[in-house]
Amino acid sequence: MLSRVFSLLAIMIAAFAIYDGFRQKSAFILGQEKQPNYSPRYGTNLSGGYNSDRVWIYNSTTRTSYGEFQGGGPGAGK
Amino acid sequence: MSVNIKDYDTNRFIAKLAYIGLVSPLSVLLTLIFSPLLGENLINKQIKVGSENPEIIKEFTLKPHLVGALRVDVKAFIPTNRWVTYEIQLLDEQGNLLGSTIKEAWRESGTWQEDGERGTWSEQDLQGGMDIKVNEERKVTLVLNVLGYGARNQEISDLITFRVNVQNGVIDTRHLWPGLFGSLILSLLGILSVPNIGKRVITKTVEDSDPTARETVGGANKLVRVDVNVLSDETTFLKQSMVTLVINNSYGEQIYKTSEWMDMNFKKTESGYVEEAKGKVQYFFLLNERNNYGFHVNVTPDAPVDKTTLKVTEGVRTRGQVKVVEISTN
Repeated sequence: MLSRVFSLLAIMIAAFAIYDGFRQKSAFILGQEKQPNYSPRYGTNLSGGYNSDRVWIYNSTTRTSYGEFQGGGPGAGK
Repeated sequence: MSVNIKDYDTNRFIAKLAYIGLVSPLSVLLTLIFSPLLGENLINKQIKVGSENPEIIKEFTLKPHLVGALRVDVKAFIPTNRWVTYEIQLLDEQGNLLGSTIKEAWRESGTWQEDGERGTWSEQDLQGGMDIKVNEERKVTLVLNVLGYGARNQEISDLITFRVNVQNGVIDTRHLWPGLFGSLILSLLGILSVPNIGKRVITKTVEDSDPTARETVGGANKLVRVDVNVLSDETTFLKQSMVTLVINNSYGEQIYKTSEWMDMNFKKTESGYVEEAKGKVQYFFLLNERNNYGFHVNVTPDAPVDKTTLKVTEGVRTRGQVKVVEISTN
């Protein structure tokens, strides 16, 4: 019984890892409002997120704090 | 009543699932090895980008795919003790932003001195990248933008060189590593616990050399394992003991008898005296008729034997080929 449980779990973990890799679950999905599975590569983080109209809104802690940039997207107060 | 006894080697009772389990980390490993061959190279070039002067890299038509994603890898080349913040942007045909990621890249170096020794150190984090998928076909323009470039608090306006590498159909290998180790550990546990498969029907320990017990076991496709474990005391002098196993039928008539030499493993004190010795024998039986059988063990020489355990387990599986004694009565 125990042997079966271990072996089945091994198969499930392997299958899930391979499926996950091929499906690219952690990629950025263009135009999708929520990105729950997004996982940054090399510490390259999303600069913001979509609002309910699927418009990209920068969040204040990243882009707006650099250089001469004045903040972006609708609702950022131009 | 006639008793028919055959003995032969068989693979019939190998725990196949445990070996299928062992194949699973191998398949993850193969995926890891061959995944770099899956991507299709679209762009591999160097470009120069200035601060707040976005550079169009290329326009793509992205299609939804079941497998893989578009992978954009960007690496900045900057002199030491500088930082650059760059943004990978995706624009639609009208130039509207569809999404972007930001990398804070830097490169530092210096000298260290300790206990009269000195040297230099150099650290950097210049590589950035993102994987992109679409749910519907879309035209996107890939743009690289520099948000800030400087040395300490001072802004620099030079152009920066980037290497941009874009591949399509790339799979994400990050989760394959935990998948590899997780499935490897579990599949090894699966193999290791094969001897625990089955139902223990007899456990009989006597502080002597001749345990005996009776139980209903067997059936045409049920492999029965008999384990004999012997513990003998400091007076053990022979390297081997003789173990005799007798199986009786429900009427108490002997249907099988076997004797074999069992190797004794000695545990000695630091000065070389024997403390105790242990030995074990294992048998596999196919008792074609499910019935009440008696199992009798005898270990000789019996004088040094402290303890003998008889264990009978049915419905067992094996890790490899085993010798089976098939007993048919009619």
